Amino acid sequence: MNRQQEFVLRTIEERDVRFVRLWFTDVVGSMKSVALAPAEVEGAFDEGLGFDGSSIEGLARIFESDMLAQPDPSTFQILPWRGDEEQTSRMFCDILTPDGQPSAADPRYVLKRQLAKAADMGFTCYTHPEIEFYLLKSDQPGPDGEPVPVDRAGYFDHVPGGVAQDFRRTAVSMLEAVGISVEFSHHEAGPGQNEIDLRYADALQTADNIMTFRTVVKEVALMTDCYATFMPKPFSDHPGSGMHTHFSLFEGDTNAFFEAGAEFQLSATARQFMAGILRHAPEFTAVTNQFVNSYKRLWGGGEAPSYLSWGHNNRSALLRVPLYKPGKGQSARIEYRGIDSAANPYLSYAVLLGAGLKGIEEGYELPPGAEDDIESLSAAERRAMGHAPLPSSLHDAIRVMEDSELVAEILGEQVFENFLRNKQADWNEYRQQVTAFELKKNLSIL
Amino acid sequence: MSLTRRLIAAGFTDLEKSERFLAAPELAGMDQERLFSGFVRSANPDMALQSLVRLLDRIPSLAELVAGEQEEGEALFRVLGASEALAEFVMRHPENAELFHTGLRAEPGQVPARTLRASLLESVQAGSGPNPVARLTGPEAYVQLRTRYRRHLLDLAIRDLGAASPEDTMPAVGRELADLAGAALEAALAVSRAELAEGAFDAADVAAVRLAVIGMGKCGASELNYISDVDVIYVIDAPDLDESLAGRIGTAMAAGISRVINASAPEPGLWEVDANLRPEGKDGPLVRTLDSHLNYYRRWAQTWEFQALLKARAVAGDAALGRRYEDAVAPLIWSSSERDGFVESVQAMRRRVTDHIPSHEENRQIKLGKGGLRDVEFTVQLLQLVHGRIDETLRVRTTTAAIAALSEGGYIGRGDAADLDAAYRYLRVLEHRIQMVHMRRTHLMPESEPALRALSKSSAGALALVRPSAERLLETWQRTKRLVRRLHEAIFYRPLLATAANLSEAEVRLSPEAAQARLAALGYADPRGAMKHIEALTNGISRRAALQRQLLPVLLGWLGDGVDPDAGLLGFRRLSESLGDSHWFLGMIRDSSAAGERLCQILTSSRFISELLEVSPESTAWLGTDKDLQPSSFDSLWQEMRAKMSRHPRPAEAVRLIRLIRRREMLRIALADSAGLLSQEEVGRALSDNDRAAVLGTLHVAENEVYAGEEQLTDVLVVAMGRQGGREIGYGSDADVLYVHRPLPGADAQAAQGQAEKIVQLVSSLLQQPCRPAVQAERVLELDAALRPEGRQGPLVRSLDSYAGYYERWSLAWEAQALLRARPMAGDDRLGEDFLSLVDPIRYPENFAESDVREIRRIKARVESERLPRGADPSRQLKLGRGGLSDVEWLVQLLQLQHAHAYPALRTTATLPALDALAGAGFLPEQDTAVLRESWLLASRIRCANVIRGGRNPDVLPSSRRELEAVARWCGYDAGQGAVLEEDYLRITRRARGVFERWFYGYGVG
Repeated sequence: MNRQQEFVLRTIEERDVRFVRLWFTDVVGSMKSVALAPAEVEGAFDEGLGFDGSSIEGLARIFESDMLAQPDPSTFQILPWRGDEEQTSRMFCDILTPDGQPSAADPRYVLKRQLAKAADMGFTCYTHPEIEFYLLKSDQPGPDGEPVPVDRAGYFDHVPGGVAQDFRRTAVSMLEAVGISVEFSHHEAGPGQNEIDLRYADALQTADNIMTFRTVVKEVALMTDCYATFMPKPFSDHPGSGMHTHFSLFEGDTNAFFEAGAEFQLSATARQFMAGILRHAPEFTAVTNQFVNSYKRLWGGGEAPSYLSWGHNNRSALLRVPLYKPGKGQSARIEYRGIDSAANPYLSYAVLLGAGLKGIEEGYELPPGAEDDIESLSAAERRAMGHAPLPSSLHDAIRVMEDSELVAEILGEQVFENFLRNKQADWNEYRQQVTAFELKKNLSIL
Repeated sequence: MSLTRRLIAAGFTDLEKSERFLAAPELAGMDQERLFSGFVRSANPDMALQSLVRLLDRIPSLAELVAGEQEEGEALFRVLGASEALAEFVMRHPENAELFHTGLRAEPGQVPARTLRASLLESVQAGSGPNPVARLTGPEAYVQLRTRYRRHLLDLAIRDLGAASPEDTMPAVGRELADLAGAALEAALAVSRAELAEGAFDAADVAAVRLAVIGMGKCGASELNYISDVDVIYVIDAPDLDESLAGRIGTAMAAGISRVINASAPEPGLWEVDANLRPEGKDGPLVRTLDSHLNYYRRWAQTWEFQALLKARAVAGDAALGRRYEDAVAPLIWSSSERDGFVESVQAMRRRVTDHIPSHEENRQIKLGKGGLRDVEFTVQLLQLVHGRIDETLRVRTTTAAIAALSEGGYIGRGDAADLDAAYRYLRVLEHRIQMVHMRRTHLMPESEPALRALSKSSAGALALVRPSAERLLETWQRTKRLVRRLHEAIFYRPLLATAANLSEAEVRLSPEAAQARLAALGYADPRGAMKHIEALTNGISRRAALQRQLLPVLLGWLGDGVDPDAGLLGFRRLSESLGDSHWFLGMIRDSSAAGERLCQILTSSRFISELLEVSPESTAWLGTDKDLQPSSFDSLWQEMRAKMSRHPRPAEAVRLIRLIRRREMLRIALADSAGLLSQEEVGRALSDNDRAAVLGTLHVAENEVYAGEEQLTDVLVVAMGRQGGREIGYGSDADVLYVHRPLPGADAQAAQGQAEKIVQLVSSLLQQPCRPAVQAERVLELDAALRPEGRQGPLVRSLDSYAGYYERWSLAWEAQALLRARPMAGDDRLGEDFLSLVDPIRYPENFAESDVREIRRIKARVESERLPRGADPSRQLKLGRGGLSDVEWLVQLLQLQHAHAYPALRTTATLPALDALAGAGFLPEQDTAVLRESWLLASRIRCANVIRGGRNPDVLPSSRRELEAVARWCGYDAGQGAVLEEDYLRITRRARGVFERWFYGYGVG
């Protein structure tokens, strides 16, 4: 029993916590939760908590279903929305095989492994996500078949006394209560759309925070009688919900992406990292954009980044080098704009980091940046300038990923296979659907 | 006597140069007698002469010493012959030459720590009370401190070199060096304080920060070398100051210490002050408060860090704070053996001790090489950690004191302790003398003959009369290394035996609890059970028990390194018991460590081999020599069987002997495989030949038996199919066969068919029936004729004509495919040739129709979906799974069917040669065949490993870590690499599947 574990047990005692939820994530990125009575926590620290892994998507091989969840005491938090009556708390877990080894199928472990690789190369990875989501009246569509947003405000609009206002205030204070600092929040372009930025932190903590964040947002929405969705593209006519993420690598105290005097102050390391991401982006798109619906966002126009390109403050580029105040070399970073809000953050960050590190290892050359709005170029122009498209559907993305040695290496063979199998099943199911679009367009004329 | 002879007699090496120096004006008029009687005492007379001439030039008064009585000059000559660096120091600071007037004593005595401390503090004009502050600062202080330090060093070297027995003196010398280093740190701290107060910080604030310097490593243990990095950790305490200010002052103060000791100044620096053993190593803050240290050790520290703390001692700075630190970490150190992962990290450390030495230095290493100082230190520290938890007398820092305490407490035998102690002291003296020459941090044996000779002399003690000799030095050193190596391996276990066997040897008193703690620390999961086995093996007065008492200490170590030490020990006990009183086996292990190590590795990893060894323990003898492990050729096996058959005409008896030979050869192959003598392909061929000999022998027996009662009507042929056809089977595989016969001219077809059936049935039953007495632990050879025409519905044996008729009428694509592997195995040679002529046009068809290609693809697809066990994960199925054996083989066979007619090079029954031929003929790209080959070999290897370790299902990649670990070791991975094997297998087979799909189903081609 170490100090942190003791701390958890003491807090449970002192605060009279009634339930301890153990959280972990399946391959798709859904949060799974097991509730423990306080008396069982000590045992879970010592030996882990046994559970049947076969019921969890992509976690266990079919014939090897016994798994252990071992809580990480450093992630202990009291959950504020449960109120003071029945105090509930949570801890994230690592998934172990019955003999106590890290399970190769645990997404959290996949990210940890990639971070360890970065550490071996001398880097610490920091990330900072901007998470978009829609606030709806309910999870049921309205009479026209479209979801119903809570309000109809636009970018940076102030809506006096709106539901959204209450919602944001409560969400922000709850997030602070579970130790997640929120950097900035404003209204995005779509009706009912919100964006909340999480302050930058190391990649594993950010991924944990994203999982917590989604849960908090959903809970708070329920409390304020509305419904929050992270679906990549809930409306055909409004922008999708992305999870733009800023990445930076640090070597000790210094930002490895910064080089004073270089073009855009970008160091060679940064350029190689970006080159790695751009070259391998099509291979890992199935991970960062994992649903059939994700591709409606990627190809839905607007500011969605559908082509391989990078730019300095170019809002249509897949990879953006943001402006920052002169003299703030520490904040040098790059922003990947492809991920959507429904991605599994552990796997997504692992593939992005892995691709970037690959670029550094192999010394990739960064192609020239794009200054035009890529969307407005003709197909021939894009081809001429080397802006290849991202996969256009989940099916395409799966095909490309299947042939990727890099993604297999990053995810590990077991997650790689389970993930592909799961996504293929998704696609097969989708393909059988007759959609409202087809009926509307074809039924009356055929 | 000529000058040349005189020089040689005095031990000079470079005669010409030395003659020139002897003629130097500084030596003019000196008494040659006196001079030479001095050089005789110098370890390296050439060096001494050159230094002397240069010194006399600077300090003419030294001539008195040279000219005076012999004893008067002794210190001078000894130092000049042993250390160029010290001679240079005196040249830089001639006032220190007065020390050469010291008379030498056999007992060198020791300067107390407080004298050294006072002296060094005085050199920088600091008082000697607690937390003193110097009046000197900057380069002046550095020079004064360093000069004073070296003066004491010279004084110590003079006394050390004059000692009668350097080994006896070694601990005292090490202690004084550590005290001197502590005094230097103390004085440096005093200077650093003064500099800080003058500079960036407020003097009162600086005074409010208390800082303790904790010595680690050899400095902490009071057994320092003449020159080495001094390992330290800093603790601060400043209750009255703001935490961050205190931290800044403490850090600056610690950095100041380093500067005072080692920054460049007119007098060279002393040594590196190395603070990297601190919490978080290089990345951690340089100074911490006591609480912060403790927090770290409680939460984050690794096992090796506790091993390092064993040596922690407050050496300078605030004494009270230092003592508090010592008191607070002690309980952490002594409970560290109860931490999770202690056993694993101990094993990892044991491996690390021998790994990671640059190979070109390995043979010259005194410290890190096999049998080096590190081995001794590691052994002693581990035993301290394991037993010091209970027994407080073991909580000492010095290696020599720890050895004494371990011996006193009965944790190691008294004889072993004496040997270990002597070896340690000897190696340390070598190290001291080597370093002294240039005051350079080195642990390498010199290479040149003169340097070795000088070392031999300087390490021998002042009164030694033997002539120095490089050869003798190396001999003694090698002997010592071997001794340490042996002790290092045996010392953990030897006392266990004394406890287990209830020996009355007074020297060892290891309690049962202590014995179990030690076994657990060394990797035994069930120490109580292990103790029982050890008891059984060592109790009694038999010769066997006596030998085992002698051997087990080393064997237990080897077993402890294996996958499953407990199973290994049990296996050894069974083996030993089945051998009864014959002890050649133990003698062999005693005389050949390779055999012992191999045996231990096998016993811990393979149930299959352990069982075979248990029933034929005499086979253990093969482990002694690689020659005995070479698989017998088919011809010699067949010859042996024929001899047995002729001497034992009764069929049951003859076949029993054949089966015994087969079992014996299978064991031999497995042993050779485990020793890494065979490649996977060679294993497959050897096993196939072994089975072939058995079938051939049995066929002869069966024919003789049948012909004894009736006239011979027909010739019988056994044709190998499947993997046996390709000579690539695994341990205990079935043999796929077809039976063919051809009636003799004039014989009745019906009767001939009956006779052939009788013979083949007899062959099968002779091979499979239980024998009397039973052939224990045998993997029975089953003959499987399911690939025959019409499968299980068809007749078991057909005549050649019947085959011809059948193939003419029916011949299906899958049968053609199966025939690709057909190879006559036993029976009439001519019939074999005719059979092949019959099937060649079928298996190598001139035109393999597109519809047939489709048929083969369809069957394969159906096999994939139907033949896998229900619910199985295809990616872990070695044979039928994704990218496994059958994917590779089917692709090869499909291409053979299509192209072998036109390209005779493709006509082979074996998979890998066929792959090579396909690449050679351009049907598959090289890189694709490489992928397929890798996958096929790894899957074959894992199947073998599964059988060898005694797993339940040989066709599945296991998923429990323990089983994976066992398989991984068999596949040549290092310890702890089970998960790597799993990942490798999944990756390799995924790629193989990709290649397979592209070429077999034609996905993505053209």
